[in-house]
Amino acid sequence: MFEKTLVPVAYGERPEELMKIGKILRSLGANAICLYHVNEPGSFFRGADLSWLTLLSEALEETGLNVEAKTGNGHIASAIADAALLDGFDAIYMKAKRRWHLETMLLGSVSRDLLRLADVPVFVHKVRPRLPGSEAELDRRDLKILYATDLDETSNRLLPYVMEFRGAWCHLLHVRGRMADPLAERARQEAVDGELHAVAEELRPYFERVTFEQRIGDPAGQVLYVSDQIEADVVVLGRKSPAFLFAPMGDTAERIVVGSRASIFLVPQPGRRNAS
Amino acid sequence: MLREYLKQEGVFLLSAGIILFFIGLGIARPDLLGAASSVVHAAILDNFSWLYLISVFFFLAFALTLALSRYGTIKLGYDAERPQYGFFGWVAMLFAAGMGIGLLFWGVSEPLVHFLQPPPFINSASSDAASFAMRYSFFHWGIHPWAIYTIVSLSIAYFSFRRGMPALISSCFYPVLGERIYGAAGNLVDVLAVFATVFGTATSLGFGALQIHSGLTHLYGLSSAISVTIGIVLIATALFMASAILGVEKGVQVLSKLNIVLATAFLALILGLGSAPYVLNVFTSTLGGYINNILDLSLQSYPFAGFDWSRDWTVFYWAWWISWSPFVGLFIARISRGRTIREFVLTVLTVPTLFTFVWFAVFGGSALHLELEEGADLAAVAGEDVSLALFAFLEHYPFAGLLSLVALFLLTVFFVTSADSATVVLGSLTSGGSLIVPTYKKVIWGLSLSAVAITLLVTGGLSSLQMMAITAAFPFMLVMIVLCYTLAIGLSQEKVQ
Repeated sequence: MFEKTLVPVAYGERPEELMKIGKILRSLGANAICLYHVNEPGSFFRGADLSWLTLLSEALEETGLNVEAKTGNGHIASAIADAALLDGFDAIYMKAKRRWHLETMLLGSVSRDLLRLADVPVFVHKVRPRLPGSEAELDRRDLKILYATDLDETSNRLLPYVMEFRGAWCHLLHVRGRMADPLAERARQEAVDGELHAVAEELRPYFERVTFEQRIGDPAGQVLYVSDQIEADVVVLGRKSPAFLFAPMGDTAERIVVGSRASIFLVPQPGRRNAS
Repeated sequence: MLREYLKQEGVFLLSAGIILFFIGLGIARPDLLGAASSVVHAAILDNFSWLYLISVFFFLAFALTLALSRYGTIKLGYDAERPQYGFFGWVAMLFAAGMGIGLLFWGVSEPLVHFLQPPPFINSASSDAASFAMRYSFFHWGIHPWAIYTIVSLSIAYFSFRRGMPALISSCFYPVLGERIYGAAGNLVDVLAVFATVFGTATSLGFGALQIHSGLTHLYGLSSAISVTIGIVLIATALFMASAILGVEKGVQVLSKLNIVLATAFLALILGLGSAPYVLNVFTSTLGGYINNILDLSLQSYPFAGFDWSRDWTVFYWAWWISWSPFVGLFIARISRGRTIREFVLTVLTVPTLFTFVWFAVFGGSALHLELEEGADLAAVAGEDVSLALFAFLEHYPFAGLLSLVALFLLTVFFVTSADSATVVLGSLTSGGSLIVPTYKKVIWGLSLSAVAITLLVTGGLSSLQMMAITAAFPFMLVMIVLCYTLAIGLSQEKVQ
């Protein structure tokens, strides 16, 4: 899942932070990492000395990973998404940075663009799981995974990723709308429970504990609520293009990524090739 | 035990309590009630008259979209169900729902009042004013009121006949409230429906009593004191209460059907005795103007000139229809089981509307003909007392006394049948949607309707009636917006071919 991971980096990245990231990725199964830097067409630093990238690579190699450094050009998010797809990376790793809402509104956000454009899974590292100290490493056996599933065909594609996390606890969550009458609601509830039970059985060999629940309401709001309740480390979810009418409100995945304290592992819709 | 009773009768106790408080306040402190309702009414009109216009237009667009979409083929009932009534019987009952005191009250007076008192940008008593008057009369009584009824009746019919839930407004909220429809939230929705029905019906009863009184004064020189109007309300109350309590519903149904036949004959007689070609020209040209301007009419509040006019008329009408919608909606829903959504929407929107257009063209067109071509001074009479316009109009026809008596009979029967049906609907709304309503509830609701009508007549007459209709309709308008949403959710879960 993380065997070959692309890590976008920018000028000013601190080697010690990157080493912590390296440790986390290694504990999640990473073997090789590519540090990827994009030169923006109008950037002040364009064509500048890239020795800092070499220094970062050397620092990261100390964690025992195979590291290479690459550069690209163009629109940052598009270039990263293209590189990840064309060079066959398993995932893209991003450390979430705190930005002011106004700044994001005015300048946009590379992370958000990347979430929209990437054709390979994206791991957005948020507050949880905490970056380990200089010596300690993240123990994946402690991980609490929240798997938010739509229970449709595309969701099945996410299962192998969830299995690979192999943590302490996997909590399955299905958020849906309420049916129009009590009888239909009861029938739907039972059907969903049955489907969740089946998925839970598939996941049981990979986790110490597997639980499931279904909730009614706004998907993003409910995922964020449950994630906080169980103090999930990672939320695994699929990403679909929002319906035309709902696009201005932002799509569910984007809202979860923005609001979550847990990290997000976002798997794009299969067969979808973005305009990147 | 008591807790169980309170839970079971929550809607009844709460709504009866509010209405009782309103009546008590009207008796003890009419000045305070008048001042409080004026403040609320002004706040609603100042801030939300645009919302009435845009909501009602949305209801129309929503109903048409449903009818013409793939959901149009969904049945209001189970898939194999057939309509309970034949097409013509069903259409006749839709007529019955659409006709009432209002048509008699406003049929002559509304075009005349618009003709005499149009918005400031139109010259009073001009040919432009006549055209404007007819167009707006068509607009206020046309497709929009039926779109309002359609939303409520379609929701009730869909959730009760297809989804097997009780015939209550709160049932339609299941997709958003879930099991909470059986708790305080659901009760609140039903209380709002009761509240709207009581004030909407009381407004109509108040109009009816005022007009019966005017007719009696006109014919027999009866005193015009308010006590006579109250006496008329009390006599009518005794009649409809007797009908509701003694279970003479079948007799009332016969009377109701007779009334419709009589009203249609009355309409034909006025057309025959007056200038039919003129009236038919008024009908045709007003229909053309109405269709051509329907978008502008729907959303026009005249913010630069004539805003007050729009508030006094269009917003009042929209509010009045909204406050009638739980009552009419339940009735239409009950007779429409087994119809498809497309058949239901298109028929409800067109057939009663066309009949109403004919009614207004005949009564309003004839009145304008008398005013413009024959020098009658009807507009001045209507401008002074709208309830008198019909009788002043009938003066210009042969057998005027007999025609006025027929009009009085029609008004009285409409009064009794409307109040009787409203009593049963209110009883049903406060008995969990059951059609078997305990007598004590019928008594309480019957008396409440009359008491509210009297309170409003005493505290401010016509303007007070209009004010309360607007106020009571406001929360129910918000309920109706949610109804559209829940109906869309329900339909989206259907498997449509």
